[in-house]
Amino acid sequence: MDRDDLLYRERFRIKGNDFERGGEVATHVKGLLKGFGLHPEIVRRLSIANFEAEMNVVMYAEEAELELLLFPNLIRVVVTDRGDGIADIDWAMREGNSTATAEMRARGFGAGLGLPNIKRNADEFAIESTLGVGTTLRYAVFTDRPRDAS
Amino acid sequence: MRKRSHAIVIDESRCNGCVACSMACPTRALRVRNNLVRAKWERCIDCGACISACRRDALRPRTSTSADLERFKLRVAIPSLVLYGQFGDNVRPGQILHAFRSIGFDLACDMSWMCEMVAAAIDAYLTDCRGPWPKISMTCPAVLRLIQLEYPSLVSHLIPLDTARELAAKLHRRRIAVERGLDPGEIGLFYISPCTALVDTIESPLGRRTSHLDGVFSIAELYGPLLRAVKSNPEASSDEVVSIRGLRWVLASGEIPGMRNVNSITVKGLRDVVYVLDRIESGTFVGADFINTYICDDGCFSGHLTIAGRYAAQRYLHHVVRQLGDPPPVKESRIRSLLQSHFFDLEYPIEPHTPAVDLKDLREATARQQQKNELCAALPGKDCGACGAPNCETLAGDIVEGQAAFGDCPFVRIGQLTREIVSLKEPPRQG
Repeated sequence: MDRDDLLYRERFRIKGNDFERGGEVATHVKGLLKGFGLHPEIVRRLSIANFEAEMNVVMYAEEAELELLLFPNLIRVVVTDRGDGIADIDWAMREGNSTATAEMRARGFGAGLGLPNIKRNADEFAIESTLGVGTTLRYAVFTDRPRDAS
Repeated sequence: MRKRSHAIVIDESRCNGCVACSMACPTRALRVRNNLVRAKWERCIDCGACISACRRDALRPRTSTSADLERFKLRVAIPSLVLYGQFGDNVRPGQILHAFRSIGFDLACDMSWMCEMVAAAIDAYLTDCRGPWPKISMTCPAVLRLIQLEYPSLVSHLIPLDTARELAAKLHRRRIAVERGLDPGEIGLFYISPCTALVDTIESPLGRRTSHLDGVFSIAELYGPLLRAVKSNPEASSDEVVSIRGLRWVLASGEIPGMRNVNSITVKGLRDVVYVLDRIESGTFVGADFINTYICDDGCFSGHLTIAGRYAAQRYLHHVVRQLGDPPPVKESRIRSLLQSHFFDLEYPIEPHTPAVDLKDLREATARQQQKNELCAALPGKDCGACGAPNCETLAGDIVEGQAAFGDCPFVRIGQLTREIVSLKEPPRQG
């Protein structure tokens, strides 16, 4: 696989605490991927991951950049946020664990499914976090191997 | 997939090249070029927004004609239930059905009972079916086409049961042929429609090879003759029994009082439909099991080819419901046995409109998007529509596809001309 063969790259800014516009980046990226003619299942899985990642920024970080990188056989997304960081990644990766506030839960978030849901829909997933600095999510979906999401 | 015909015809002699239709089109299918409207038909979902937006009648629905009626020995109207709410408090459904006999039809048949049956069938289907959730209704053809075009991954959410209008036509044809001793082909069944979205389901049906209907007339075009007929002869046909539950189903836009699967919502109007479909696709719309979707703001009552205002029409229909009382519902066991015998089934599944792409296509598509992004950054972003495309982003896409020029933007053109004038004013160099 030739990872140097970058077909498309675009960066998007996500603002923390902006519930009003939360989800717009994921929706925009979804439109782009559909425009590229990618398989609906690939678009669906990546959109779910992007939406979760974007809402994580909206809920917990100050701001972030979502970078979309399209290669011939994979789509890579890197979400780098500036924020508090995650103290215990293993804990946050377990389904049902959440630090969401009552207000977030009232808006239908905070089921503790965000990060596991990204991992489930992606073919590659990595997370790094530094307390007081921020979190970086990297995930990828292979475009040449459609599969059914579990 | 076979090529679709379309529900909308353009009358170039009436078009003055204003951009009202292009700006109104939700799928960006219309452009104005050389002062004439042009359609990218592959993007059209037949919603009819352009027909409402055009003040010069340059866009019209392609409905049936009297010549179409004359092809048949027996001409039958099957009106949308919305028609029952078009004539005011004192006109009953039976009178309206009877009035069709004075305006070129031999008979008009009610379909409210089939609406009740389909509602019950959907309820039973929801009880027994598996995911993906939520299920999405098949009622509004414009929404179906939007899903095929823009949300192909949601095709698997559609409830694979046919519509009440098709099933009613199927049964009416069978019954009338037997009762009147006619060949089924001698009977012409015409749907009386509140909207343009249904027009093309006759020639390009969704989920079946051929439609059980033979044509479509709009409520708007038959309204005058029907009103006169009702006024001059208030007699009602007695052989038509109207289903109250069917009427209620239409009034509530598909939410059925007494429905077992109450965890359903109705989404009306293009903006809201797009909002919800986007979220279903992103996996963030959870909780509801069934979503009824309508492209028009108030469901079929606000169809572009109706006459009575949508609030008045609903009030009139509520009045009809109150007058008729509450008859016993269709038996659930009967619906279940019909479901098991595949009576409600589509002939084949709805297909998404997704062209297969290879790597070469992907390379070209991403390169085009880069160009488009650069053009978008260079265009003024005023989304004025004066270039003939509905907004700057769409113009950028058209330029990349070679269908428009950068100078089509009036702001860009003014800038170019200003620079030319300035350069002309500069004194010629001494040489």
